[in-house]
Amino acid sequence: MSRLLRISLTAIAVSAAVPVYAQSVTITTAGGDYGNAMKEAMWAPAAKELGYDVREETQSDGLAALKMQVTAGAVTTDIIHLGSSEGAQAAAQSLLEPLDYKIIDPNSVPAGAKSDYCYPFDSYGTVMSWNTKTYGENPPKTWAEFWDVAKFSGRRALRANAQDLIEIALLSDGVAPADVYPVLSTPEGLERAIKRLEAIKPNVSVWWTSGAQSAQLLKDGEADLVVTWNGRAQTVKADSGAVDYTFKGSVIGTDCLGVPKGAPNKEAAMKLIAAMTQPARVAKLTDFIAYGPVNPAAYEGGLIPKDRLKTLATAPENAGTSVFSNADWWVKNGEAAQKAFDEMMNR
Amino acid sequence: MTVTAVDPGLAADARRERRFFLALSLPALFIVGLAAMLPILWIIRQSFLTTGGEYTVGNYEKVLSSGLTWSALITTVELSLGTLAVCILLGTPLALALASARPRMANLLMAFVMLPLWTSILVRTYGWLVLLRREGLVNAALTGSGLTAEPLPLVYNFTGTLIGMIHYMLPLFLLPVYAAMRDIDANLVRAAASMGATLGQVIRTVVLPLSAGGIFSGSTIVFIYTIGFFITPAVLGGGKVNPLSIRIERTLSTFQDWGSASVLGILLLVLMALIGVMFLAARRLMARNKVGAAHA
Repeated sequence: MSRLLRISLTAIAVSAAVPVYAQSVTITTAGGDYGNAMKEAMWAPAAKELGYDVREETQSDGLAALKMQVTAGAVTTDIIHLGSSEGAQAAAQSLLEPLDYKIIDPNSVPAGAKSDYCYPFDSYGTVMSWNTKTYGENPPKTWAEFWDVAKFSGRRALRANAQDLIEIALLSDGVAPADVYPVLSTPEGLERAIKRLEAIKPNVSVWWTSGAQSAQLLKDGEADLVVTWNGRAQTVKADSGAVDYTFKGSVIGTDCLGVPKGAPNKEAAMKLIAAMTQPARVAKLTDFIAYGPVNPAAYEGGLIPKDRLKTLATAPENAGTSVFSNADWWVKNGEAAQKAFDEMMNR
Repeated sequence: MTVTAVDPGLAADARRERRFFLALSLPALFIVGLAAMLPILWIIRQSFLTTGGEYTVGNYEKVLSSGLTWSALITTVELSLGTLAVCILLGTPLALALASARPRMANLLMAFVMLPLWTSILVRTYGWLVLLRREGLVNAALTGSGLTAEPLPLVYNFTGTLIGMIHYMLPLFLLPVYAAMRDIDANLVRAAASMGATLGQVIRTVVLPLSAGGIFSGSTIVFIYTIGFFITPAVLGGGKVNPLSIRIERTLSTFQDWGSASVLGILLLVLMALIGVMFLAARRLMARNKVGAAHA
């Protein structure tokens, strides 16, 4: 009798600790510091609230992974983290399920950033950063000065990708932030940007391929002037101090969450996206990495400490001179831009 | 054929034996078929598909008419040939030194040669980054000693990539060359020397011809390996060295163009097959010449 009692007690204890049926959801992030930040601030608390069992996968190249899963018919992830222009590309290739705006609040995103397929949750700036040992109190202040190799000698490091760079190239050529996409949409606009990049090419010592690499180049002093993402520059600055950066002329992009076409737990994925992007949670993300929320509500009620606002690309005081990356332009012209970029690199 | 009459029982035995040995290779063939042939067939199919999944030859037109493909091909061959040339120049004398050293010394030296082979390629590649970068150890030594006023651009370019690749390939080149040189009958060398050959003549007329097979195998290994190198140019090339492997990665990640990436993969495969055939033909030619020389 006592044995039976013990067994049933154990059974009850176990069933109380582990719910008999826990909805499981798989999320794919970029990993690293960024992936951890998303876990701590966003999906882990949301999963706890919903009682979901969330598994994490990491991929440095979300779009390639998404495409592989969907085209192979073996979708293992329910939520995928993409850059917004990648999200738009994925949507154009019908790799994503439409977002369920009955579950996700449609008014939580400013109209300009809204997408039917990939929910934008945070933003970053592509910024100019420099070695403070090389330039002291007189670093270049604009992209035009970044291009001025006579006045600011030093080795440059740029990303080996046309994204954000062609916008920056036009800014350096005297195009006003508001005119960047109108100029790029003219037949000679792209050519003008590429020519500008070609002009600085001899002074580029490294064309980097990952954010982590750009941070390392800054830290090692391998390059004096680096175009990188604000979160990376901020991390290096906080670590070593020999680095600084400016939001002036930054290109602001957003990252988004999408649900792959044919995801095994579609509805739960929508619910998790809604829960993990609550204002308090995306505000909390800035505790870990300097990527600011897209949802305006997250900037209200002191959710983000005032002194931290300065480190976010989207902070009102930082926004005046920046360009918002235009996902539509990139979906339409991305391939042509990348091809022109590769050919420039090849010359 | 000199054997004219064979006992039928013996012949049956021989057949059985051959069948048995063939059967032994089946598991390996199965694995190769599954792990190598199937994916290659899949890649060939992929190279004929549009993004929408329809059959097309458009991928081939696109890739073969692009200047980017051909410059990547040239970079690939330049890197491979460069690595091979330096491996032959450095590796052959080293193998000769190893083969003529006393056994204990040779073993010790061999351990030093093999040591890098036991280290992950990523670790070694990043190691070179630490050594060669602007504020790295080599440049610190060069500028510190006054040999150069400015740090030299040793990495994030073709030079750095080549250094990394040579470092990886040298032991693999050395092994067959060393084996061939060690197997040379020492009496031949003595005989040559006793007839008044100088050291240079001994090397030229005895050692090198007899170790040509080893040098040849080593060269084949170097070429086949380096054709597909990705990590080294990706880390040490600084985005400026773009062989076919990097072109494939970029086609996949930036353009999500699986069809074109597959075509590039096939191009790499064809390149490798061509080189393989060339090496085999050259080897057969060499073997025939040797036989001819022996008969003469």
